Amino acid sequence: MSRTSVSVISLPLFLLLLGLAGCGDSPAKPAGPPKLAVIISTLNNPWFVVLADAAKQHAIQMGCDAVVFDSQNDPAKEAAHFENVIASGYAAVLFNPTDADGSIANVRRAKQAGIPVFCMDREINATDAAVSQILSDNYSGCVALGQYFVKQVGESGKYVELLGLVGDNNTWNRSKGFHSVVDRYPDLKMVAQQSADFDRAKALEVMEAILQANSDIDAVFCGNDAMAMGAYQALVAAEKDKQVKVFGFDGADDVVKLIAEGKIVATGMQFPKLMARTAAECADRYLRGEREFSQKTPVAVELVHQANAGKYGDYGRKDAE
Amino acid sequence: MTRGRRRLITGATVAAGTAVLLHFLPLFHVVPLDVARQRTAEAAFAPAAFVERFWTEGLIPGTGGAVDAAELIAAVQQDRQAARRTHGRRVGLGDVYYYYVAGIGRVVSVDRNSVGLALRDDQPQVQVLLEAGPIFGNAVRDGTGLLDVNDFANSQDFNALSAEINRRIEQHVLPNLRRMATIGARVGFVGCAEIMDEDTDLNPLRIVPFLVEEP
Repeated sequence: MSRTSVSVISLPLFLLLLGLAGCGDSPAKPAGPPKLAVIISTLNNPWFVVLADAAKQHAIQMGCDAVVFDSQNDPAKEAAHFENVIASGYAAVLFNPTDADGSIANVRRAKQAGIPVFCMDREINATDAAVSQILSDNYSGCVALGQYFVKQVGESGKYVELLGLVGDNNTWNRSKGFHSVVDRYPDLKMVAQQSADFDRAKALEVMEAILQANSDIDAVFCGNDAMAMGAYQALVAAEKDKQVKVFGFDGADDVVKLIAEGKIVATGMQFPKLMARTAAECADRYLRGEREFSQKTPVAVELVHQANAGKYGDYGRKDAE
Repeated sequence: MTRGRRRLITGATVAAGTAVLLHFLPLFHVVPLDVARQRTAEAAFAPAAFVERFWTEGLIPGTGGAVDAAELIAAVQQDRQAARRTHGRRVGLGDVYYYYVAGIGRVVSVDRNSVGLALRDDQPQVQVLLEAGPIFGNAVRDGTGLLDVNDFANSQDFNALSAEINRRIEQHVLPNLRRMATIGARVGFVGCAEIMDEDTDLNPLRIVPFLVEEP
């Protein structure tokens, strides 16, 4: 056998051995039930606590061990959680990202390590990284909310918008859905638009500051219910809660109760338990060998107002979940 | 050859090799700001251009997929759930669904934001309400089944399509509808219905038209 033919044969053999050696570096499959990581953008918001708890509960029901990781809205903490998950031999990740672009690298790292990732509620801007993404249809929900806003506030007036995290697609899908309606009414004037990071305490501060300069507003549209609660708190403190109509988004229990009492006007009901259950079921099917998944599954958002608030509670429809 | 000279030649060779390498594989490119801006704009999703192509190559040629409005209304009157299963289209999870509908009707009502049609000559009531005011929502984007969220990198791009389709309907379709909408006139239409609340959206059937014509 010539030296050349030996080289031709030995190169693929060498590459194969190299590949096998590489596999040896990946964490060994642990004995016992598969472990699922539930990585959540923040647990500082009750809505995400519900999402995390529901994901964990469904994972346990499917016979998995589940651990919840809180990224505290910090991409660096999220990256560290993924390092941990990859090193610790988790079987899958139920993932609520902190940043539509910034979180892609984490999902890709998990994919390279053979760990499937299933996004919940929030999207990543890539369609080839996560196995599937179960996403709230924020845009359509806010189109409906915008139409209800015009019905309640009228075709003229002054309003404020509180945005969520600026790096999150949900922030902009909600804002754009809302503006696709209200911007058609030129006499509806937005006098301030500020981010309060989906945070209740920050929304309280931001709203207090806005009210200093704009005491004559008619309404405030908030990108989530935590901010709606903060804004409402600021309006109560300024004795403007009867004058200013508050609109939220999420379907948080405290807001649904205030809607029933006529204190907040409306919200968009997302279904965190449904999204968590669907993501957990996808992970279960994946672990059983299924590989065909729709990359994105939108989950419809429903408008909650005083007339139908009684139908909703516990982060969903009373008759459904 | 002295050691110093050898070092000089080696250094020069390495420098020349590095220069050649960097020429073909530069670490960075310097481009004029306007060129960079243009490249960014080209890379960004352009909903207007996409909808322009979709309209002429997908939407209008694909109207054969619409169900006949009279047939659909009869099916809905008989059994809403069966009609939904047979003719409806659902996107993702939730109760919202869509109908893709075509038909011909007689104008029986005209107001600021809608045109009411009766489909049968002996029917005085409005059976179909064509939206004629500001168009909101995803009726046409999601109703025809021709566009799929999975074909788009992110949902913001997909949502931008709805806004653009609605804008195009308002600019190019609704003026024709309003011109044709005189009581008693016959109007042919193709469009989509987004059913969020069956009690209000089915009776009459509320349709966002993307094609209207005199039959």
